[in-house]
Amino acid sequence: MSSMKPKSLQDPSTVSSGELKTPCDAADMPASAAADTSAAPSHWRSLAELDNDPEFREFVAREFKTPLEEMPLSSKGRRRFMQLMGASFALAGCRWKEDKLLPFSERPEGFVPGEPVFYATAMDIAGVATGLWAKSFDGRPIKIEGNPNSASSLGATNTYHQGSILGLYDPDRSQQVVRRAGQRTPSSWADFDRAAGELIAQARAAGGRGVAVLSEASSSPTLASLRSRFLQAMPQATWVAYEPSHSASAEQGIELAFGQRLRAVLAPERADVLVSLDADLLCPSTDGGLAYSRAIASRRDPSGSMSRIYAVESSITEIGSMADHRVALRASQIAAVVAYLDAELSAQARPPAALGAAQPRPDAKFLEDAGVKKVLDVIVKDLLAHRGSSLITVGSRQPAEVHAVVHRLNTLLGNVGKTIRYVEEADRISGGAADLAALVAEIEAGRVETLLILGGNPVYNAPVDVPFAAALGKVKNSIRLGLYEDETSRLCTWHVPQAHYLEAWGDARAFDGTVLIAQPTIAPLHGGRSAIELIAGLLGLPRTSGQDLVRATHDASDDKVWRRAVHDGTLGSAALAVEPVLRPIASMTLTEAALGSADGIDKLELVLELDPAVHDGRFANNGWLQEMSHPLTKISWGNALMIAPITAERLGLRDGFLATLTLEGRSVELPVAFTPGQAPGTLTVNLGYGRKVAGRVGGLVDEDVEVVGTDTYALFTAKAGAIAVGATVTPLNRRPDVLANTQDLYAIDDIGARGRDERLPQLLRETTLSDYQAHPEVIKHKVHHPPRLNLWHDPVSYDGHKWGMAIDLNKCTGCNACVIACAAENNTPVVGKHEVARGREMNWLRVERYFKGDREQADARQMPVLCMQCENAPCEQVCPVGATLHSSEGLNDMVYNRCIGTRYCSNNCPYKVRRFNYRNYNLDVYGTTPYTGTDDPRAKLRSMAFNPDVTVRGRGVMEKCTFCVQRIQNVKIKAKNARRPVEDGEIKTACEQACPTGAYVFGDLNDKKSRVAKAHGEPRAYELLQELNNRTRVQYLARISNPHPELATEDGHSERH
Amino acid sequence: MKLFVFPRWANKTRLIAGAALGGAPIYLTAFVWYGFSPKTTDVGYQPKQPVPYSHELHVGELGIDCRYCHTTVDQAAFAAIPPTQTCMNCHTLVHPTSPKLLPVRESAATGQPVQWVKVHDLPDYAYFNHSAHVTRGVGCVSCHGRVDRMEVVYQQETLSMEWCLDCHRNPEPHLRPPSEVTNMNWTPPGDPIAYGAQLREQNNIHPPTDCSTCHR
Amino acid sequence: MAIASDINPYQGALKGDNAFAQITDNVSRIMEAPKPPRAWYIAMGFSLMLLAMFGASLGFVVWEGIGAWGHIHPVAWGFPIVNFVFWVGIGHAGTLISAILFLLRQNWRTAINRFAEAMTIFAVICAAIFPGVHIGRPWLPYWMTPIPNQMGMWPQFRSPLEWDIFAVGTYATVSILFWYMGMIPDFATFRDRSKTTVRRLVYGLLAMGWRGSSRQWHRYERAYLLLAALATPLVLSVHSVVSFDFATSQLPGWHTTIFPPYFVAGAIFGGFAMVVVLAVPSRQFFGLKRIITMRHLELMSKIILATGMLVGYAYGMEMFIAWYSGAIYEQFAFVNRAFGNYGWAYWTMIFCNVLAPQVFWSKKMRTNVWVIFFVGVLVNVGMWFERFVIICTSLARDFLPANWGYFVPSVVDYATLAGSFGLFFTLFLLFCRYIPMVAMAEMKAFIPEGHAHDH
Repeated sequence: MSSMKPKSLQDPSTVSSGELKTPCDAADMPASAAADTSAAPSHWRSLAELDNDPEFREFVAREFKTPLEEMPLSSKGRRRFMQLMGASFALAGCRWKEDKLLPFSERPEGFVPGEPVFYATAMDIAGVATGLWAKSFDGRPIKIEGNPNSASSLGATNTYHQGSILGLYDPDRSQQVVRRAGQRTPSSWADFDRAAGELIAQARAAGGRGVAVLSEASSSPTLASLRSRFLQAMPQATWVAYEPSHSASAEQGIELAFGQRLRAVLAPERADVLVSLDADLLCPSTDGGLAYSRAIASRRDPSGSMSRIYAVESSITEIGSMADHRVALRASQIAAVVAYLDAELSAQARPPAALGAAQPRPDAKFLEDAGVKKVLDVIVKDLLAHRGSSLITVGSRQPAEVHAVVHRLNTLLGNVGKTIRYVEEADRISGGAADLAALVAEIEAGRVETLLILGGNPVYNAPVDVPFAAALGKVKNSIRLGLYEDETSRLCTWHVPQAHYLEAWGDARAFDGTVLIAQPTIAPLHGGRSAIELIAGLLGLPRTSGQDLVRATHDASDDKVWRRAVHDGTLGSAALAVEPVLRPIASMTLTEAALGSADGIDKLELVLELDPAVHDGRFANNGWLQEMSHPLTKISWGNALMIAPITAERLGLRDGFLATLTLEGRSVELPVAFTPGQAPGTLTVNLGYGRKVAGRVGGLVDEDVEVVGTDTYALFTAKAGAIAVGATVTPLNRRPDVLANTQDLYAIDDIGARGRDERLPQLLRETTLSDYQAHPEVIKHKVHHPPRLNLWHDPVSYDGHKWGMAIDLNKCTGCNACVIACAAENNTPVVGKHEVARGREMNWLRVERYFKGDREQADARQMPVLCMQCENAPCEQVCPVGATLHSSEGLNDMVYNRCIGTRYCSNNCPYKVRRFNYRNYNLDVYGTTPYTGTDDPRAKLRSMAFNPDVTVRGRGVMEKCTFCVQRIQNVKIKAKNARRPVEDGEIKTACEQACPTGAYVFGDLNDKKSRVAKAHGEPRAYELLQELNNRTRVQYLARISNPHPELATEDGHSERH
Repeated sequence: MKLFVFPRWANKTRLIAGAALGGAPIYLTAFVWYGFSPKTTDVGYQPKQPVPYSHELHVGELGIDCRYCHTTVDQAAFAAIPPTQTCMNCHTLVHPTSPKLLPVRESAATGQPVQWVKVHDLPDYAYFNHSAHVTRGVGCVSCHGRVDRMEVVYQQETLSMEWCLDCHRNPEPHLRPPSEVTNMNWTPPGDPIAYGAQLREQNNIHPPTDCSTCHR
Repeated sequence: MAIASDINPYQGALKGDNAFAQITDNVSRIMEAPKPPRAWYIAMGFSLMLLAMFGASLGFVVWEGIGAWGHIHPVAWGFPIVNFVFWVGIGHAGTLISAILFLLRQNWRTAINRFAEAMTIFAVICAAIFPGVHIGRPWLPYWMTPIPNQMGMWPQFRSPLEWDIFAVGTYATVSILFWYMGMIPDFATFRDRSKTTVRRLVYGLLAMGWRGSSRQWHRYERAYLLLAALATPLVLSVHSVVSFDFATSQLPGWHTTIFPPYFVAGAIFGGFAMVVVLAVPSRQFFGLKRIITMRHLELMSKIILATGMLVGYAYGMEMFIAWYSGAIYEQFAFVNRAFGNYGWAYWTMIFCNVLAPQVFWSKKMRTNVWVIFFVGVLVNVGMWFERFVIICTSLARDFLPANWGYFVPSVVDYATLAGSFGLFFTLFLLFCRYIPMVAMAEMKAFIPEGHAHDH
């Protein structure tokens, strides 16, 4: 895999500031110190240890002992008053309140107050593990970055990772042990340990009869080994895992094909031809998604050897938006597609008899569509032309046989060992609906007395035909370890708070088998325990500290090895490849849905997907993620019914209106989102919304916090799984109260549509590879304008640095990682559903989504837009108070404390990248403001997530992207102190660092060898709205597609003039 | 009854009224400008500290270098306040029982910090980096004054934006060899401006005056 | 006095030797009457209600933050700026009538110039309120003025908003001086006629010891002339500068060279319409029919017709230039303005500003009080919509389709709009009651009896 790592990523100095630390520093720092030294929220930057007011210290003391419910919430009115007064005092020049300096009594060795330190850690989401770095200020983690040394990240992160920081400081996290006997009674760990101890003692005596463990999926080797020890100690106990996203078919498919449990690890960077069948390699819930993103993107550079991507899928996926050819077919038709490919390929490739007979050629209706058939035939041709350098992937939700056949195809194309390799499957904890159903059966049969639930939230996300909630009621003793006191905990006799992954020792296994070590970056804020600690405690193991457990699992007795592992965050190497022997595969029985009509109007297909923002609902209480808009529908704060316009119109649905979606007599109401590019007859709906006990962000019915979105688990059955056929939709003639759509805020009329289509080719430029190679100037020629003359001379000479950025539209998949990374880095507030609906969201960086093509066959285009840092900045000239001015390095500085909020700059910005604080969002969301502190412990906890390097803006102030100027300054100062130049790639903006595909490149344009200077030199580089002569410092690299010659329909020339 | 017309003496009032009207804005401006400027509000701020620690004694008489206590001043943005343990290095032997040092000993015993009061307190939206200045050869004394002569530390400079800009625009008078930054008695050899210019050349110092230099 | 005499509205209007006395009586009566007419009380009560609403809504905005207004992401300027430009526009006719018509010796102006000027000042007051409260941090607008400070910061003089401050400020100052200057002799008249001590004292102070000596008259006329000369360029400058707020920007629909003259014409248009709207009822209720004659109204109708055509021409020219520019964004902006989702606003504007005034071609119409009044109202509505169309529809759909939006005003938007009228009318009604509504002295110099020797 190392071939996939760009150089700059391997060298730790690419971190913007601070350096890697070994755990001893964390260990040496007393837990209290870790918490105490974080900046007091009444101050808007970390004055490090210097700036730590006493009330905050005692708050911390209180905070971590007593539950929040007992804290008086400070009165809003008072805060408002203080805010206004505070402001007027500040400008009158009176002295602000006395600040206290609280030095350590003993400062840990090598600890520099106020300097960020990076700790290696790892996050495991539903068994998908990623190596990460946690950026910590004075013992307070404030930002997550990818761990460049780990193949699972290569320095990149996804939205979930970025959001996890806010999750750590979420005041709604459970704060105490709770006992529920009849009514809810606060309890303590001591009581729990006693009670649980007795239970386990009895259970052991009974050989574990009546004991069951229900855990979420996990890749942690330590937990796996604890499971076996648990089952050793209690042979008759059962251990079940449930994950709604789990699909057994992928594993079964491999067993069908090779007769053994294996794991497929892909190397898409070696694939010249990539066929994606209803699969999204790039999506964050794909194991190895980040690695694959980087790998695939590395082959999308027109100046190198470019891969060709075919996507056959039901709705536009991230890889689909990148594909050169996209065919929209229903998920249930993929089986037929695979059969067809097998039939054609085997016929022409003549595989050895040992591989068995090919699938018979299906007579599926969609093959009658000439367009579809043509593409499939070209795919066959292209695959045969690239034996050994092609790759076929299929979605995990597809049935096992389909997977088996795809393995067969990859084998007979000679891709095994080249673009795909098989490794021994390690001991992982995973399970799905079937496993949960089995457990419920056990409970119904009265065979479970004590149920231990580790994480997850089965009461909320169990399949509707698996009555888990009801069953749970029948269990005598149910113990729940959870981050939140959620739906599940409310039905359990015990709830014990779980430690956040940043609070505990742990380990995980990456997609390629490497082990990841996670160290705590802060003492558990609410005294939670990790799953491994809990189990170890229950088993009464001698040493139950997380570190001991993890270390024991990997028998790293040697200190040096261990410290190295913790420092790097990785241990051992990738699993070795095996050469499995393919077995003949029986011919599939294709359902009538697979062969059915082209439009599928008669039998609508419902596809349930994990949500790109809230996953399976576990992130429902995370403001950043809730406010992130869906890559296709652009709807935030809720889910929608995605449907192709043609299908929708035949069903009489209207865009943005509500509709009733019914499956097997169960129905839900959802807003309809017309989604061009969706397969006709396919309804795609996201899971994870409609939580009733999520928290004050994600919905909390007993405190009248409105529920966000619709709970679609009501349609999720163990029987049908993710793809259900036979759904019905009936239109409702009303709109939802609020639809927080961040793009196309209203039904766009014909004039608007025409205007949009007229300008799109100029804004989002693209052409084909052949055309581009023949006429490199084609991109620049998309717009013709008179010579650009400046009204006045450049205000500054830009000797020294000249910062610039390039955004490669060939690589952007619209995954939104950059958006959340930006919010985390720059303290941009969450504004809430109703303000988003009024177009007041505060994201400095937005990803614009456009559809290309007609209503029948459309592709999606994703285009990130952030401040262009114009040299002739229109915003600068119109600000009456000079709150936004040009820096000598060409940055478009924005001075929040000078801004009086005329908003003229925003009006004059052609890109509309400036965002205005219409309300005091930090007061609304964090409960505190730049002007005043707060006594609200919730607010204080939340404000610990602030980045101390960035001013927190108050009401009435304009704000915008600054190229993460705080990062630029920190690196520059470090370099100048050391009397050395700043190296290219040493400064990374938050978006660049997070981006999985490396679409962003930031650097110094004066350094001719820098990556960004090279990128700007490319013929496909262009300025957005160049005719306005703003001379933007951000340039886009046009999207160059690589269609198969036989399918290259539209030619760049036509668009050219 | 008589009509109201102005008596003759009213003519005098015109002058007075005119003068008052003309002078008012000027007076007001001056009042706001000077009256509320840091010169009058901040300079000389000298809060009472929990421990009667004398810089005059430790720096002036004993000649302890600033960096003995403020260790991180040349590597980080913040010149760290010394941990109690630094005090105890000496005071376990020197005045081990002095009542004045009670808070320090308590802190050392309990691990709770001594609560010093901050003297040089910039607005939270202004980002100042000590290392950037100290390593370039801006002396401590330039901003903090003759700390070696302060029994109790007070604010000597205004620390206003204008004051920062004055130096950033014209740094020469405030430059010295980086080796001399903590030397309170240092005086430039010969013409300070010429020497400053020379140092500026040597250490290639270009103090930026961009907004984002201090405001982020 | 050739021009003057042939359009002298008072041929026959005021006859007899006591013409001077008649004028004085006519005007002073209003102030001397123990009670103003009932209509005055009704109007006053209504205005005060609106004024209260104004105060409340502005207070709410300052307390709650300008999120209380309906602004959305692309449309960062909404009602407040629309109202600002609208009121500044109204504030034009006054100085135009007083200054320019004075310099052109259009003496018929004397009947209406006084309250046209009053209207100007009140309108400017209404306008001046909005920029201050529409900013995000309403306690900081003084940062836009060049006051020395310890930040070493100056305002940015490249910004049109900065120019506004000086343009509007100067205009307001000169208008007030001009207005007051003209009233001095009339205040003296009031002083001499008032019975109560308080009034004597107040009017006495205001009259600044005016005795009507020939020396005073001489100085007075010279000063008046100078002020008029000073005020004249301002009439053109203010609204030109206000138009720069838009013309200097890059936004399609704002970025237009025609704006300065177009805005000035529009302002005069709207200003005269407002004068008519105020003149018709006040001459009715305060019995000034013989002083503000039908002839006056007719002349103003003609001006409204003329300036209305100018404005209409500007609308047409905008469209043409947009098409002619060949810039797709420019072209879209105007097509969208007329036929996009804000078309209703555009066509309201066209109807009120271009079509409605056309009735004044017929003499019957422009001598019918009701028609004149009604058209005046329409034109004011139309001028408000003109600003709305320019500001909001251009912003709602600018360059990148991804952040197009649709501006929907909030309750507070409407409250502040209506409230500003409350302030305006309250001030105006007070003016009618307590300040000489017609320039008596000037008129006396002008009526035929004023210069018997000319005949």
